[in-house]
Amino acid sequence: MKTPENSWLWLYKIVAGLLIVALLGIHFVVNHAVAPEGLLSYADVANYYQVPGIALMEIAFLVFVVSHALVGLRSILLDLNPSPAILRTANTVLLLVGAFAIVYGVWLVFVIQSRG
Amino acid sequence: MRNHPSPSRFPLWFDPRSRHPGTWAFILNRITALGLTLYLFLHLYMLSKLSQGPEAYDTFIALAKTPVIMVGELLVIAAGLIHGFNGIRIALTSFGIGTRRQTELFWLMMVLAGLGTLFFGYVMFFKD
Repeated sequence: MKTPENSWLWLYKIVAGLLIVALLGIHFVVNHAVAPEGLLSYADVANYYQVPGIALMEIAFLVFVVSHALVGLRSILLDLNPSPAILRTANTVLLLVGAFAIVYGVWLVFVIQSRG
Repeated sequence: MRNHPSPSRFPLWFDPRSRHPGTWAFILNRITALGLTLYLFLHLYMLSKLSQGPEAYDTFIALAKTPVIMVGELLVIAAGLIHGFNGIRIALTSFGIGTRRQTELFWLMMVLAGLGTLFFGYVMFFKD
């Protein structure tokens, strides 16, 4: 049976998943080095974002996590054999949710970075 | 046709009989994916407290240090480790690596996820 998941989308899901694992590992190391006691207050988080490269790393992490999660949700929906109309609606909703989450997350990074 | 994908057969997803390790791997991957996606959006909502200033965020963090929330956080870590390690297995086998040892690879990844969960549980609940 032909799978309705585009092979490029499938490949992206796999690659993004591996990048998330790698970024999560880097995140733990950097987090431990910059804030050994953890980011347990507003001041800790604001100071954390003053370290060069942190904002870029967190934005990359956000983009890969959100896109991997939403492409994965679409895969689960495809398991249920949806009609083309439902799939079209789902595609639109997932794209809008993903775009909103990424724009909102990036805005939040810049807000907290400006308050350090 | 028992496993033919159809919304009307959705309840069969929860029938645990005659499942092979590959099916358990698939089920675990799906369940942890749904849990982690829910957590992702809760986390983004929680981070919105940062834009409201120090008082809003620090009040929320005080709540996050309560035992019930910490158990929830450990469940998220366990789901992340299961999904992450199982995902590494899927990535490897997708590119033809270890395809003949998929079952052993799955159990190895689950042992690593279990050990990782124990480590984080120890650090969160017993270390200082």
